[in-house]
Amino acid sequence: MSVELPADAGAQTPEEIADLLGDLVIGREEHLNAPGFVIKPDTVVDALRRLRDQAGFDHLSCVTAEEYEDRYESIYHLTSYDDRTQEVSIIVPADKENPVSQSANEVFRTADWHEREAYDLIGIEYDDHPDLRRILLPETWQGHPLGQSYDQDQPQVVPLREHQNPLLEDQKADNDSETMYLNIGPHHPATHGVLHIKTVLDGEQVVDLEPDIGYLHRCEEQMCQNSTYRYQIMPYPDRWDYISAGLLNEWAYARTAEELADIEVPEYAQIIRTMGAELCRMAAHFLALGTFALDIYGDFTALFMYSIRDREKVQNILEDLTGQRLMFNYFRLGGVVWDLPEPREEFFEKTRDFLDELPTALEEYHDMMTSNEILQVRTVDTGVLPPEVAKSYGATGPVARGSGIDYDVRRDDPYGYYENLDWDVVTEDGCDNFSRLLVRMREVEESAKIVEQCIDLLEDWPEDERNIQSNVPRTIKPDDDTEIYKSVEGAKGELGIYIRSDGTEKPGRFKIRSPCFSNLQTLPEMSNGEYVPDAIASLGSLDIVLGEVDR
Amino acid sequence: MAGPLQSEVLLPEQIADLLGLEGALGAAVGALIGAFIVGNVMLAFTGVAGPWAKRKITAAFTDRIAVNRIGPFGLFIIVADSVRLLSKELIIPDGADRPSYDLAPLILPASAMLGFAVIPMGSLGPFNIQLADPEAGLALVFAFASIASVSLVMGGYASNNKYSLMGGLRAVAQNIAYEIPLIVTAMSVVVFAGTLQMSEIVAVQSQTLISLGGVSIPAWFAFVNPFAFVLFLVANMAEIGRNPFDIPEAPTEIVAGYQTEYSSVYFVLFYLGEFLHVFLGGAVMATIFLGGPAGPVLPGFVWFVIKIWAFFLFTQWCRSALPRVRIDQLIEIGWKGMLVLSFANLVLTAIIVGVIA
Repeated sequence: MSVELPADAGAQTPEEIADLLGDLVIGREEHLNAPGFVIKPDTVVDALRRLRDQAGFDHLSCVTAEEYEDRYESIYHLTSYDDRTQEVSIIVPADKENPVSQSANEVFRTADWHEREAYDLIGIEYDDHPDLRRILLPETWQGHPLGQSYDQDQPQVVPLREHQNPLLEDQKADNDSETMYLNIGPHHPATHGVLHIKTVLDGEQVVDLEPDIGYLHRCEEQMCQNSTYRYQIMPYPDRWDYISAGLLNEWAYARTAEELADIEVPEYAQIIRTMGAELCRMAAHFLALGTFALDIYGDFTALFMYSIRDREKVQNILEDLTGQRLMFNYFRLGGVVWDLPEPREEFFEKTRDFLDELPTALEEYHDMMTSNEILQVRTVDTGVLPPEVAKSYGATGPVARGSGIDYDVRRDDPYGYYENLDWDVVTEDGCDNFSRLLVRMREVEESAKIVEQCIDLLEDWPEDERNIQSNVPRTIKPDDDTEIYKSVEGAKGELGIYIRSDGTEKPGRFKIRSPCFSNLQTLPEMSNGEYVPDAIASLGSLDIVLGEVDR
Repeated sequence: MAGPLQSEVLLPEQIADLLGLEGALGAAVGALIGAFIVGNVMLAFTGVAGPWAKRKITAAFTDRIAVNRIGPFGLFIIVADSVRLLSKELIIPDGADRPSYDLAPLILPASAMLGFAVIPMGSLGPFNIQLADPEAGLALVFAFASIASVSLVMGGYASNNKYSLMGGLRAVAQNIAYEIPLIVTAMSVVVFAGTLQMSEIVAVQSQTLISLGGVSIPAWFAFVNPFAFVLFLVANMAEIGRNPFDIPEAPTEIVAGYQTEYSSVYFVLFYLGEFLHVFLGGAVMATIFLGGPAGPVLPGFVWFVIKIWAFFLFTQWCRSALPRVRIDQLIEIGWKGMLVLSFANLVLTAIIVGVIA
């Protein structure tokens, strides 16, 4: 995205934004994280384009939709890749009877899927949307489950003749065509879960490719809306990105809820959180490395097992810390649930041992993987994702950093203890599968640096100041109609959560911005025109977790 | 070197003599029994290799233990797996092209078994294990081995599955691209040996190449022409479809290629066929580059077995350590690299042999 304003364009005051939008603004709101501007439903493209081109808001982080008593509402959470602290919410009300709103797809490609989700779950229709279909639920679904008039008892009866073979349409051969239609998935060795990729092939080359998601949709947002802030929501985030990134996900909820309810977190707890989160990131990246190797090498190779071996060491440390191996449920609002395991020395020693062995392990990976010429031939200049395209699709995390976008929420919008530690944001300029692989491998090193510093701090922490939780009331009831959108750097990218409180102890609307959801959207851009094996490799390099894509 | 490696009399005749049979009847009975023995030995190798050795070797490469519960070193897993695989349901997809769908899994192992007919496997006790020794032996082996592609295409086409079809097409493209360098490289050996007869090729290699301090190094073609050996090794890996050239199956890309739809007995037959082809590949390498069954102290047949298992080990090593190349890269390596190199090798060999002789 071209940013026409000078470098200090990021420093936009709400008044300047209001001036920029001019008469498009029909009202003002205040979200806890950003100023909100209400605009008319037919001026979305105009408003977003002005903000993108003239104010540097080039990152459409998330689109939240919800239904109120008197209206529908779409909220576009905008921020900037250059300055994450600059945020603005564009609120687009739509008519209750006929909820139609203009699509933002023209300005931000990422709006495509986000708006489809809003249509699917809430029922807002988007004008000029290229392909407004359901995305998470089956095509035959009746009603919009997060809408107010949705009848949960309504049977979702689908006659067998309609659903006998949901892929029948796709299987019909087109005699005139030179291409072949191929369903990759939902069950396929390389989809990393249940993902269905509709692929059109010309020989071995991909002509068109469309990910079809929703097979793992578990109504996570609705479950969070039916749970209390204080205790009941925290276990759910573990189940989004379940590839050992649990603590990172928990932090997304913790950060948002703590900001919403104005809860302080003791410094000591922040350090433990930072350490735990980075351990999770290492575990997640090890697995990403292993599965990527699986996609390129085929079969269960030495690399896969080695990365599982190293992940296992991290898992053991995390198990000592949290008592769990997968679904940690370790964070609490205002801190963590318990202190480091006793005897502390043993824990520190174990973690240090792991960190000491890490350089050797990484060298092994570099010997076997990144310096292997066949692997380089396979990955360099394949799955190319130029930075402008990545930004338009809202790509974040290692996918964005592999395209040379210097964007990391840990540094750009600091939380936890990251500001006080010495580490670097890793970027690679290759924009290809190889760069994304390198970014992950180097991020493991950076995470190791962070963990090491955290351990040093924790070891020297005075015994009587080990405060793991602040005083948090038993029930939390944020003020009515408070809205907040906050994000953290998950293993796969920017994991954001939007909460609107309705004055009760449960959220009125709970929306998850999943990094994998946005990253997966880039797959067609990366794969069209390439060979099937490269499309598979690109999918592997995106490192998606379907639990997080489908929620 | 323990005496002359090859006696003139082949296994079928020896068996006929032992049974006191003569003439056409003796030849027929001897050949049948001989083929039965050799075929079963090779099938037994694949039986050990598939369910057990492959797992153990891969586990050793990847820091694991693998099967160790059933029997000593987990060896009885072979029995358990056989029962398991054979008792599975045989699923035949709708729209499968019946005769060819059923024939494909038979052709693959059969083509490999045919190849073993002309391989000199050395002596074991009084027996000289070689079923036939035609003058065009080497050409026959390649002819038999290349029937495998027919099976892969049949299986891929007849399955009525797009992944299978892609696997079948890949198999053809790959086999055409690599069979030519394979055979051209083998021809450089023929130029050296001056014969296509397998026993003669082995005999030529038993000459001494060089004597180092009393230890004589035999004139194995791998020592005489290491370049041809490496070329042949790579082409052979592609020919039998092992990593990094396992393109026709490519599990993460096209599920399992031509064998996607095969289950139960048919699946077992495909697997047997693949392993037999690995062993046949090893046998051809051993015969034309590694002196066949030659080796010190141990009987020739034991050396032959060691050599083909070494090749099997090598394929498993590659499987654990090497990434798969892409189909277009594979074709490029075959046509633009291997073919040119193999012709260069042949021409150079011909010139050198012509000048020396």
